[in-house]
Amino acid sequence: MIHRLAALFVKELRTLFASPIAYIVLTSFVSLSGVYFFQHILAYNRLLFVIQSEAVSSRSFDAGTIPIHVNALNDLFIPLSNDFSLFLLAVVPLITMRVFAEERAQGTDELLLTTPLRSWEVVLAKYATTFFFVLLILAASAIYPTIVVNQSGLGIAHLLTLYFGLFAYGTAIAAIGLACSSLTQSQIVAAILAYAIPFIFLDFSWLEPALSENVAGFMRTLALQTRFEGFARGVIELRNLLYFGGAVVIGFTVSLSALELSRAR
Amino acid sequence: MRFMASAGLVMILAGVAAYYTTDELSIFSVINLSVGPGLLVFVAIQETRRFQGFRGTFARRVMLRWALILTTVILAVVAINTAGRHWAGYLDFTIERSYTLAEQTVEVCKELAEDPSGTPAELLFFKDTHLARDVNLLIRSYESACDKIDARELLLAEAPSYAQPLLNAFEVTVLACRDQNCELVGFPNEENITNALIRLLKKQQIYAYFMFGHGEVDLANTTPLGFSELAASLRNVGIEPRGLVGPALTEIPTDAAFLILAAPQRDWLDAEIEILRGYLNGGGRALVFLEPEIDINFNGLLEEWGFELPPGVVSDRAVSPLIEDPDPISLLVNRYNTFHAITRKMGPRTMTLLPGTRAVLSVRKPEPDDRIGGIAFSSEHAWIESDTRAALQGRPTQPDPGELGGREIPLVAAGSYPREGQEARLVIFGDRDFASNRRLPTLYNVDLLLNAVRWLAEDERHIGIRAKTWTPHQDPFTLQQTLKYFYSFAFLLPEVLLLIGINAWYRQRG
Repeated sequence: MIHRLAALFVKELRTLFASPIAYIVLTSFVSLSGVYFFQHILAYNRLLFVIQSEAVSSRSFDAGTIPIHVNALNDLFIPLSNDFSLFLLAVVPLITMRVFAEERAQGTDELLLTTPLRSWEVVLAKYATTFFFVLLILAASAIYPTIVVNQSGLGIAHLLTLYFGLFAYGTAIAAIGLACSSLTQSQIVAAILAYAIPFIFLDFSWLEPALSENVAGFMRTLALQTRFEGFARGVIELRNLLYFGGAVVIGFTVSLSALELSRAR
Repeated sequence: MRFMASAGLVMILAGVAAYYTTDELSIFSVINLSVGPGLLVFVAIQETRRFQGFRGTFARRVMLRWALILTTVILAVVAINTAGRHWAGYLDFTIERSYTLAEQTVEVCKELAEDPSGTPAELLFFKDTHLARDVNLLIRSYESACDKIDARELLLAEAPSYAQPLLNAFEVTVLACRDQNCELVGFPNEENITNALIRLLKKQQIYAYFMFGHGEVDLANTTPLGFSELAASLRNVGIEPRGLVGPALTEIPTDAAFLILAAPQRDWLDAEIEILRGYLNGGGRALVFLEPEIDINFNGLLEEWGFELPPGVVSDRAVSPLIEDPDPISLLVNRYNTFHAITRKMGPRTMTLLPGTRAVLSVRKPEPDDRIGGIAFSSEHAWIESDTRAALQGRPTQPDPGELGGREIPLVAAGSYPREGQEARLVIFGDRDFASNRRLPTLYNVDLLLNAVRWLAEDERHIGIRAKTWTPHQDPFTLQQTLKYFYSFAFLLPEVLLLIGINAWYRQRG
């Protein structure tokens, strides 16, 4: 079974890297991260400069006047982490849209369905490949938060926590995208759904005015961004892991059901 | 139907996007968020009615089975997540939790353990004070890291008699005591607790003498340009500052650990120069602050000790803070001589700010055994701007062809001179403002200054970086650092990835 899974994983990986889309997605993510990293440093320096200049009417960095909440964690690391999560939202659907839909559109899924492979093995291999790609994207861009951590004294454990959170967040988005891709044969439809669902789940604050306090509180716990914020602050909470894990399990079950139904039809 | 489904989706997205943009639930958002889901529900009902995909019994059975599995999985996930809202399991890697005691504190613990008297120190921690909760964790860290520290948690009413005088006079959360002697800890952070322990360990009082009478900065001056913060920092590490009037000087007091010469503005009397020369020749020590535009006869004395003080102000855009219009004379110094005791703990991240400084070049050794040299430097892009007035007033300056040196310019220098069985020591800062009230707490200025002071007082053991607070650093990035990161990673990395992608594309087409 392991051999079959490994073979499927390698095949999926080859398919992914044979097309330029993987490189374009990687490049886009790393470029966006780099540009925003640079912008955040500019903004952070400007903030320090403005606060200190206002305090002593001087043209340089001065003393003791920076409020304690203005620091590299709040004004550099967390905004950069939030940007990373949004960039994942932007690029992951570009990869997931083709995984099932392309095979269905080209008719190659028929071949796959008639092999002795079990459906869950096929789905697992596709999920594993996509998650590996998410990991690759994050690894390629790790240099930016590493620089911030080095400069701010936050510590390697904090950096690893962020990356653990980004990976959990990325796999949840990927699972939603893969579930959408397994329901249709159109890559465009798959992509639109893969963008729309996480976008709606991003933050439910827009619903809060219309809801009671209790319901609004519950909706807040369903929001993707709320669940991610803890990781950026350096805390791994079990409930957030359950949330992202739950999204992956549901996505996996949807994809598996879709494949089984295709077989049945 | 497809169009209606797409329209429903687009309306939901537009409604949500409008909310995110304006931060209010406008009529536009309400209409879109009401009609959009309605359209989707309508399409779903229509599609379900028309759905004919599962006609056979087998297919229907499979569909039913998977619908049940999917529903069960979703319900299980929702149930686990709902229950999980009340589970408090977490791993905390925040900076507060990953707090470790500073190297300097560990050194003090070692010193306590090695002390021949064997008397332990006590940290009296009053749990009925308002900062008690914040400091509890820190006190426990001391207790677990230092064998010779007893942390006692007690109520103010239970304080021992030897602590009473301080408790009656000040609002106290923590007191450091040893041998029934107590030292006040100001705000209860690691820096202050460790400094209180250092004061307890001192065998004798150390005095630093401030010279007055030539327009020097006043120690008692609490304005942004004054030196009252410097005096407070010295007291915090157990050094008592005292005044010394220069023109009335007959000799340097014998209990002077070192002199502080805070940017004299006027010429010294010949007799004063002679006394100072004699003091240094006898193994005296001095901490000197200079100013770019002030050239007085006192500078000649420094030249006798091997230093050259070229006129002008050091300008260096490369180490200016990264802002739109970098001020070339505001130097964020991040290059140090790590072989010198004063700066051995300093590095690229422990930046200091020297605004409007003059160069302090070490050009010759007065005696072969003397050791002199720079300890803090500009970048190699610096130049000495001869138009000092224009540079200090913030007018744009450019290096003249002859001004570009292509080498790091020393901004702080130190010298040690073995004389008559003693060792004279000098530390010279090219800028007085470095230690002023508004600049001393900036970045790592206090650390550099206190390290210099400790070196002059032969207290090298406590040289280090002050114990950190829980706050992540508030250091800016320099222009040079940021551009290095930007070109190395923000451009180079995507470029390489894109080239690999293009190669993959051509190979696939081929």
